[in-house]
Amino acid sequence: MYEIVIDRSLCSGFAACAELAPDVFEVDVGGKATVRVGRSDDPTVLDAAAACPMAAIQVIEREAA
Amino acid sequence: MRDPTFWILARATGLTAYTLMTVAVLAGLVLKSRPFGRALKAASVTDVHRFLSLLALGAVAIHGAALVLDSTVKIGPSALLVPGLAPYRPVWTGFGVVSAELAALIVLSFSLRGKIGAKAWRKLHWATYLVFAAATVHGLGAGTDSAHSWAFAFYLAAVGSVVFATAWRALTRTPRPTTQGGTRVRDRDRSLAL
Repeated sequence: MYEIVIDRSLCSGFAACAELAPDVFEVDVGGKATVRVGRSDDPTVLDAAAACPMAAIQVIEREAA
Repeated sequence: MRDPTFWILARATGLTAYTLMTVAVLAGLVLKSRPFGRALKAASVTDVHRFLSLLALGAVAIHGAALVLDSTVKIGPSALLVPGLAPYRPVWTGFGVVSAELAALIVLSFSLRGKIGAKAWRKLHWATYLVFAAATVHGLGAGTDSAHSWAFAFYLAAVGSVVFATAWRALTRTPRPTTQGGTRVRDRDRSLAL
């Protein structure tokens, strides 16, 4: 289980995360990324975090409850 | 005898600034098209892009200061800010002034993203193409060395690489990992959006 946190002060709306993991990330009307769901099992979130040009996405691996 | 130090410095920093700006633009374009896949970390490319942009602005500042300090052409501080005020090739130097001011605005906008919003910042970033075009015209028209074939080859290589990288970015899709659990990645955002 991955917990996803976006630092919106860093986000510049490149939308790389929303392209890679559209079920988890979306770009809001202000042009910044938001998380649809705060937790996900999909390892694609790791690719999305790595692809963020601003390093605005933090993925924390949690033990499933 | 007239000391040519500042004149040579002005020419050298002009070419240096243009080189740095070209590489900065290429780094920015690589951010989206990712031709090197995972070999390059996106955040690191951003750092390089920002650092090179700042270095280019620094070289432009030295370029302007050297022209004011030099006595070959009479360029005052006000001519560095107002396009067309320089007596030396005023149209071509004017392109340089506009390019530098626009570049400074774009670099500054990065720190103001919080205030102007990500969307406005991205729109303003498109003006980088104007900066690059104006700088190219300025270099070709005002540059002392532009008559040399090596200088022409230099500008041609810079423009060619930026055009190629832009086309690459426009035509290639962002590499996507194999999705799991049958999740389909939406086929969107293939445009040139930053």
